[in-house]
Amino acid sequence: MTEEEKRSFFSKIVRNLQDVIYGMASHDMARQALKTRGSMEHLFILITMGDLLGVPILPPYYSLRLLPYVVPQISTWKRRMLRERDLTDALA
Amino acid sequence: MAAIVLIVAIAIVVIGYQAYAAKMDKEVIQANPKKATPATLYNDGVDFMPASGSVLFGYQFKSIAALGPIVGPIVAVQWGWLPTFLWLMLGVFFIGWVQDYASAMMAMRNDGLTMGGLAYKFISPRARGILLAFLYFYLLLIMGAFGAVVAGLLAIPVVPVGLFILTLAGVLAGQMTYRWKMDLVMTTVITVLIALIGIWLGTMPWAKDLVNSINSLAGTGPKHILYNTPYGPMTWPQFFWGIVALAFCYLGSVLAIWRFAQPVNYVSFWFVALGLLGSILGVFVAAIFKTTNVAFQIPAYVTWNQPKLGWLWPILFVTVSCGAISGWHSLVSTAGTARQLEKETDALPVGAGAMFTEAILATMALIFAATALTKGNTVLYDANHMYFLKVKAGAIWAYGMSRFLSWIPGISPSMGAAIGAIFLAVMALTVMQLVLRFMRVASAELVGDKIPAFKNPHVGTIVAILFTFLILWTAFWQRIWVLFGGANQLFAGLALLLITIWLANEGKKHGWVFWPMVFMYVTTVTALLVTAWKSFHHMMTANVSAAFAFGDLVAGVIALFLALAAVILAADGLKSLAKARAKAASHAGD
Repeated sequence: MTEEEKRSFFSKIVRNLQDVIYGMASHDMARQALKTRGSMEHLFILITMGDLLGVPILPPYYSLRLLPYVVPQISTWKRRMLRERDLTDALA
Repeated sequence: MAAIVLIVAIAIVVIGYQAYAAKMDKEVIQANPKKATPATLYNDGVDFMPASGSVLFGYQFKSIAALGPIVGPIVAVQWGWLPTFLWLMLGVFFIGWVQDYASAMMAMRNDGLTMGGLAYKFISPRARGILLAFLYFYLLLIMGAFGAVVAGLLAIPVVPVGLFILTLAGVLAGQMTYRWKMDLVMTTVITVLIALIGIWLGTMPWAKDLVNSINSLAGTGPKHILYNTPYGPMTWPQFFWGIVALAFCYLGSVLAIWRFAQPVNYVSFWFVALGLLGSILGVFVAAIFKTTNVAFQIPAYVTWNQPKLGWLWPILFVTVSCGAISGWHSLVSTAGTARQLEKETDALPVGAGAMFTEAILATMALIFAATALTKGNTVLYDANHMYFLKVKAGAIWAYGMSRFLSWIPGISPSMGAAIGAIFLAVMALTVMQLVLRFMRVASAELVGDKIPAFKNPHVGTIVAILFTFLILWTAFWQRIWVLFGGANQLFAGLALLLITIWLANEGKKHGWVFWPMVFMYVTTVTALLVTAWKSFHHMMTANVSAAFAFGDLVAGVIALFLALAAVILAADGLKSLAKARAKAASHAGD
């Protein structure tokens, strides 16, 4: 093993260890914050673009102005809104 | 002896992972790193989010490790340390990792469905309904079994002040992180330091006096008996600290998650991780430098029939739950981990790796229990009466940590015991808060339309707490632990049944999941029936008051319900399995 390989090997171990500690300590917190943000965004899209799912909304002027910004999220948003859920989802 | 057992356990775990788990992953499941996972395919920033394998290993381990791997072996050594150790090792080798890993793979290959959705898809709509009802009772048993352990821990004089200050430090961490937007490293250093000082303050004489005075509030000292149960006295401290533990969970359930539950867990994580690491090293330090006793005091084999618990089979197999196998893990694997795995090949180190690591945690608990019969003048296991456990299981763990952490300069026995007890209390409370939140959501979903009051978070939480009170103060704890273990292991059996059907549907080899499933089913249903019979028999024959007869009735009815639900699910599941096999055979014929 060359010096460089040794360095890369040890840095990989350290990085993995950092990731494990992050996973135990903070991942849940970070995920919860992202989930809260994602849920709010989805709620906003539902209010403004609800007619994409058949939910009637107010005059679509603002929806059309927002549409270009929402396009990247539409497929995942629709999937989440229409996906069947049950109680075990609440444990996630 | 302790170091040898630990080394053997580590060796078995490494062989199990490298030789068996890796082989099944490669040859049967055929995990493919190039296949898109639900996390990458449906990345919606809410339910599906990719994360690296190392991060998820930490997440999975933290989510699955609670009281089960610790309390189970401490109770089970009453049959002898060898049967307990054998079940831990054989269980994790042949069954435990299979369930954790394969349930994550199954969810991943089925669009990230959770257990309810998988039961609906692979068995029947009825199966999902039964599974969800089963789940509610299972979670209720977690609350009862864990709540009693926490109440016992809080009654230890060095614990409450430390835990209270740690909780305040956690709330401060939430405020610093989310409101004041302070740097996480700075927040961690400040709050962990405050918590550490708090734990130290908790060991001061004034703090112990304060707790002792609370423990004596009811009158005649800390052992004051409020009422006698057929299984022993209910003391005031146990009663009072049980209320405190449930109040803590109430806050965790109704407050915003960032305000209380998460930051408190975050601060306590550092004690859990460092305490565990310190005590694992402590076993080897003690073996070399003789800092504490490492010879096993409890015989390898004590008896087949433990008078207070029952037969070694099936009761030991449900008493030792999470260290060998646990149904809780399948819930975490499907609802949490499977929706975050970035690559299919990460499922092995995350699912199987975390389970094998948990078996080491359970082995530590076994070592703590088997190496001490007494603490000063206090008898821990009564050598004259079949090594019957004479104190709360949590006290054994706290004492074990105090002994095996004593090699670290500055950790006094009292500080070590406080860290051990807080370690255990926090692990239990973390799960209890999550469970109570879930029960609140479940009651709102199930009866919210008919009784709108249940949509109020306080009402759902209080009702779940009242059910927990009922279990905590009328039933025999060790029987509740067996019931919890039975429900837990049976849930694992259900997960294995689903995995078997999934593999059969895919036309893959499934004997390696089917036979563990059969074993778990037969063992746990038998254990539940034995427990139901004991409860009813005790209610009918012993001269007990109405309240405790009611406790027996509740325990018996829950055991019967769980067994019945499992049998119905098995009947439906086996029909689905037969169909899947026939379909696979016809495809093979084509």
